[in-house]
Amino acid sequence: MVIARRAARLVFVVFVVTFLTFFLLDRAPGDPAEVKAGLNATPEVVAEIRAELGLDDPLLIRYFDWLAGAIRLDFGESLVTEGFTSWELIREALPKTLELMILAEVMAIGIAVPLAVTAARRPGGTVDRATSAGAFGLLALPSFVLGIYLSYVFGVQLGWLPTIVDDLPGLNDDPLENLRQMFLPSLTLALALIAIYLRLLRSDLIDTLQQDYAMLAQSRGLPERRILWRHALRPSSLNLVTAIGLNVAGLIGGAFIIEVLFAINGMGRLTILRVAQEDFPVVTAVVALLTVAYVTVNFIVDLLYRVIDPRIRDGIA
Amino acid sequence: MRRHSARLLATALSAALVAAACGGGSDDAEPVEVEDDPIEEAVDDETTDTDSGNGDVDAPDDEAEVADDPPPSTAAPLEDDDQLTSEGEGGNATDVAPTPGGEITWGLGGDGTGFDTTGAISPGSIRVVNALADPLVGLDPDANWYPNLAEALTPNDDFTRWTITLRPGVVFHDGEPVDGAAVAANLQAHKDSPTTGFNFGPVSTITAVDDLTVDVVMSSSWAAFPYQLVSQAGWMVSPSTIGQNETMVSTGPFMLESWTPTDSARVVRNPNYWRADEGLPYLDAINFKFLTDQVVRTQAFEAGDVDGFISPNDTDIVEWLDDDTVDVWIGTAGANEALIMLNTTTPPFDDVRVRRALAHSLDRQFLIDTFRSGLTEVADGPFNPSSKWFADSEYPDYDPAAAQALVDEYEAEIGPIEFELKVQSDSSIIEVMEVATSFFADVGIDATISEIGSGQTVPLAIADNFQAMSWFQFGAPDPDRDYVFFHSTGGFLNWSNLISAEVDAGLDRARQTDDFDDRYEGYAQFQQALATEVPMIWIDHLNGVEAAVTRPELNGIGTPGVFVDGAPSIPMTDGNFFPWTSVWLEQ
Repeated sequence: MVIARRAARLVFVVFVVTFLTFFLLDRAPGDPAEVKAGLNATPEVVAEIRAELGLDDPLLIRYFDWLAGAIRLDFGESLVTEGFTSWELIREALPKTLELMILAEVMAIGIAVPLAVTAARRPGGTVDRATSAGAFGLLALPSFVLGIYLSYVFGVQLGWLPTIVDDLPGLNDDPLENLRQMFLPSLTLALALIAIYLRLLRSDLIDTLQQDYAMLAQSRGLPERRILWRHALRPSSLNLVTAIGLNVAGLIGGAFIIEVLFAINGMGRLTILRVAQEDFPVVTAVVALLTVAYVTVNFIVDLLYRVIDPRIRDGIA
Repeated sequence: MRRHSARLLATALSAALVAAACGGGSDDAEPVEVEDDPIEEAVDDETTDTDSGNGDVDAPDDEAEVADDPPPSTAAPLEDDDQLTSEGEGGNATDVAPTPGGEITWGLGGDGTGFDTTGAISPGSIRVVNALADPLVGLDPDANWYPNLAEALTPNDDFTRWTITLRPGVVFHDGEPVDGAAVAANLQAHKDSPTTGFNFGPVSTITAVDDLTVDVVMSSSWAAFPYQLVSQAGWMVSPSTIGQNETMVSTGPFMLESWTPTDSARVVRNPNYWRADEGLPYLDAINFKFLTDQVVRTQAFEAGDVDGFISPNDTDIVEWLDDDTVDVWIGTAGANEALIMLNTTTPPFDDVRVRRALAHSLDRQFLIDTFRSGLTEVADGPFNPSSKWFADSEYPDYDPAAAQALVDEYEAEIGPIEFELKVQSDSSIIEVMEVATSFFADVGIDATISEIGSGQTVPLAIADNFQAMSWFQFGAPDPDRDYVFFHSTGGFLNWSNLISAEVDAGLDRARQTDDFDDRYEGYAQFQQALATEVPMIWIDHLNGVEAAVTRPELNGIGTPGVFVDGAPSIPMTDGNFFPWTSVWLEQ
């Protein structure tokens, strides 16, 4: 019942965000009819194209027309790249952005969790102090600065890794080459996340280790490693999971920047280029898809709480 | 001195504000590609990406110490008058036999939008097209037209009919013959297209006489018609694919293997190339990678991930000119001019006094020294001084006193001079225009900058919805290409709306003869008329800040190519649209 209520809320939120997206982009400067008309942008031709594209219809009618198409993944033709639909361009770009984001999350979690556990084991110790300082440093640096620096050191100076992603093979086709090209971009995106996750989890672990049941486990002589990983980590993960969900938006924004830096043909680079070219159908489609993805991820995060913490599932917490 | 120090301060503040607002956005700008086709230029609002880091210009500590002259140029010394070049260790050795084979990756600054030869093609696509298509006509090193894919072009006595003779045995990438019917179909499609048809204004009929002959009949004399076939109008595609945007089936040395919009394109050797018996092309494949960010392109080049690219960044060019491990080729023509387009039918620019005042008020050398590291030359018109068509004109010099006098005269009669200057949202353009408006303000002309999207310039110009607008165009190796942009009746794209009998007379005279002296006089008349009427405020010729930067092992970029009969063709960097046929890689 709770899940059904939340699902209904999700649908409502999707309607609201897609409408807002459509409305805001509709009000943005620039005229899609002029973009399509190009050199023929006389007032008569522009008016004809506006009629053809239905741009003179009321906003609500245009929104519902668009929504009806969007449900079928028909977001209209690209105004800039004739012969391609918006969905074709997005379909080419989406897997790369997803891979970038997933790799970044996996890296961030894979690095932050062990470091947080190690730091929480000895609060104030050498590891704890070093990781805290490192985290603050990473949080202070913008991702594009980090990306340029990493690219310069590992790509230009050392020549170990490519500075751009070019002709990226699929993970199924050539996983080593794929990961080799995506390593620097993913690491750049992951570094800021590592700092956030590390700090959050470390604090929560320290609190959890002071709980009665944790101290009981210690007094019963259970190995420290077992206490940390099996008994303390899970209840300390709520904030981490929340942060992962909330950071999807930040991850998307960060991916935009990283994709330009490393020339990854993902959603971010597609959006930035098409905004500059006023390719409205593509931009509308990307923004709508990303916002729907964001609210959906947070819906899943909500559900995950109940899995992680039985107290929430049983209504105790 | 006080005014000069204020300008220096304005320059520094402008750069700081723009960099803060846009995050140093000069790196994000799409550079102007070396281009002279009016379609691509008209619809392309890519701009020169100049470095906003003009840290050489500091606000003076003491006004009394400020010299009257602009700050010293930081440009590298020029090696010769005709071409700026810096060869790396590999060089473009002409005494070494080309090595066949190999692949290169070329970094493009602009996104490709497709390959429809009857539509608007972006410079990003044109670079790829130049590997896919041989135009009917090429250019020799003196920028004279020369048969290329066509075997011959023969006019009648009064240039009202041109007969195109084709080469036997040439086929498209799909194996279809390049015959009279195919060429006629292509030319007809170009003429019928609402996007490209204006290029063929005087063309009446196009007829395939036989398999190897096409007749083109004009409604009026057009001696310069072959120059139209040097680029888009001259790219022939297999007739069944005319109008297709997602692919290009043409006759060139390479075939399109793949194209991912906003990302990359890959072309591979054409085994049925009509010049294959000469061993052409040398390369096996070219990978074009769209890298819109200047920093990304530079790092990719330095890391060896791309073998070359066009750099519009003046400070980078200066550094590379001193770098022996890199080849730098700066062409002498083919690049755009930077200017401010004025709408001569809209107040205040319907008054020539205001236009001339604006021109007199602008210290263009200051802009060049500040924003181009001194690498470019002042422009007095659309022709580069290196062009054989260039003629001295009496374009208004920097003379604030003369500007002030004109402003005073206008204000006494009509009122204050105010206008809106529309500028593309690009920090490298905005900062130049900000300083330009400070010059205008010095003589009492109040200009307000409003930012516009990169895709808005052409629609605004067509709709006459502007008073003044930043603009980048011209630079065609042959000036007949400028006809459509200046002629008052034959100029479909007369952006400034200038109606000038002198301009028309000069252009008409030059179009109707193939005698060099006659054409030169016509274009001299045209240039002088522009200098008198000032429908545009010229700033500089941008070839100085559009350098092809390559690793030394890459040859054939800055040196002349060769036509099928052995005659030399114009170098790639001088307005020849990068024919990749003769490029080779030392291995």
